[in-house]
Amino acid sequence: MPLIKIDSVSKVFKREFSNKKIEALKSLTLDVSEGEVFGFLGPNGAGKSTTIKLMLNLIRPTSGTLSIDGKNVSEKRVRRMIGYLPENPFFYDHLSAKELLWFGGKSCDLADSVIEQRTYSLLRDLELIDAMKRPLRSYSKGMVQRAGLALALIHDPSILILDEPMSGLDPMGRKKVFELILKLKEEGKTVFFSSHILHDIERLCDRAAILINGSLVRLINVQKDLPSGKTLEEVFFEEVERSGGLRE
Amino acid sequence: MNGILSLAVITFKEGIRNRALFGIFIMALLAFALTVIMTSLFMRDIVRIAASLSLTTISFSGLLMVIFIGTNLLSKDIDKRTIYMVLSRPVSRAEYIVGKFLGLCFLAAASIAFLGIISSIPVFITGIGYQNSMAIFNWNVYFIAVLFIALKLMLIVSVIMFWSSVTSTSFISLILTIAVYIIGSTNEVVKGFLDQKIEGMNITPLMTAVIKCVYYIFPNLSAFDLKLQAANGLSLAHGYVLWTSLYWVLYVAIMVSAAALMMERREFP
Repeated sequence: MPLIKIDSVSKVFKREFSNKKIEALKSLTLDVSEGEVFGFLGPNGAGKSTTIKLMLNLIRPTSGTLSIDGKNVSEKRVRRMIGYLPENPFFYDHLSAKELLWFGGKSCDLADSVIEQRTYSLLRDLELIDAMKRPLRSYSKGMVQRAGLALALIHDPSILILDEPMSGLDPMGRKKVFELILKLKEEGKTVFFSSHILHDIERLCDRAAILINGSLVRLINVQKDLPSGKTLEEVFFEEVERSGGLRE
Repeated sequence: MNGILSLAVITFKEGIRNRALFGIFIMALLAFALTVIMTSLFMRDIVRIAASLSLTTISFSGLLMVIFIGTNLLSKDIDKRTIYMVLSRPVSRAEYIVGKFLGLCFLAAASIAFLGIISSIPVFITGIGYQNSMAIFNWNVYFIAVLFIALKLMLIVSVIMFWSSVTSTSFISLILTIAVYIIGSTNEVVKGFLDQKIEGMNITPLMTAVIKCVYYIFPNLSAFDLKLQAANGLSLAHGYVLWTSLYWVLYVAIMVSAAALMMERREFP
């Protein structure tokens, strides 16, 4: 049984104060197995973040169902299994990374001693230990991203959903996140992440889905199915052209 | 439960470290100092004036705090998407509302406790020189009045929760909360005026029905205003504290439940 199951999911957004509708996702069907690293590709506005928000029940599908470990994503307990890093994470300005992780641990019913131990371990790994008592508003973009990763990992989730985890990071930061995803893969975690950096997806993922204008256009086993001599980037551009480009 | 309490704690911490709060506290401290100076200009009822000014300062400072910091804390969650940080964890939307409400209540309680204690200094100082005036003053009623200011502010927090759960911008939420505050502070006076049935005053049945509806729908905030009793050392009517507290529990429960229901329906794209 797949760990993440997205079954014929569509999402239509209605504009406020007008009848204009935007079909952000068109009957998306997708399965992700346990322990798999799954890349989610697509140009801006393709529906990647919409899919992720549906998986977290931040928005609800217009039709179709999403389940994780056999449970509907609307069930609160599902999110105990998930660690989520949003694209451009925002946190409370006056909290420190240590307090942020305390909230992350407490909201998942972790004991104080476990939170303490995991906080130090994660912040050391993510090189935030010296800044852990500083307010988050004094952090650089890369540091905020790493604090977000620590929050996603504090409760040792079995599934990581990362929305553009490399976004805005300098080369060193990207390397750090890359190594972290590799480590999670080795630990047998399921990682679902969206990224524009196709080279990273090619190196990290078992499978990748290409989403264009809300539709799934190709599902590739990155390690086996890439046409010979072609990179994922070339396949991606071919698919964008075949789909007739991007809608406005 | 851990989700609610941990959210309440970080909401409290985020609020208590807000620089606007320090500005409000400094303004309140200056007003308390001014109370001592101003009362020296009066010849009689000195302690009554000091108590009344002190309670007005607490009430006004608290109102600024809950309206501006409370609205900002809630709406920023939605505007800046910090709500993702909470709702992506095993915390339901209803728990989010309750957690935020409790956090803001802790903030209101801590701030009013601080201001309440400080406010007793000008009353005490004024009382030293005017023992006769102090003789009718009752500290118990004074601190019950401070407690009721805290309850009023928490009730306003529940109104902020409701508006923030149905509107999409902090400005609209702020305006609607201020509107509720103004109506809630005056509706008892308007209803009293209506009940007097003054001869020659022509009020249509429709207007009477509207005023009655407004009276029952909007919170009666004047019920939490005990300045008059505290300043004059009047004892409170039998059961007043109990019945007003029950009214508070009921109104707050309705507002928070309505906010939780509205929040359950919302999406955060």
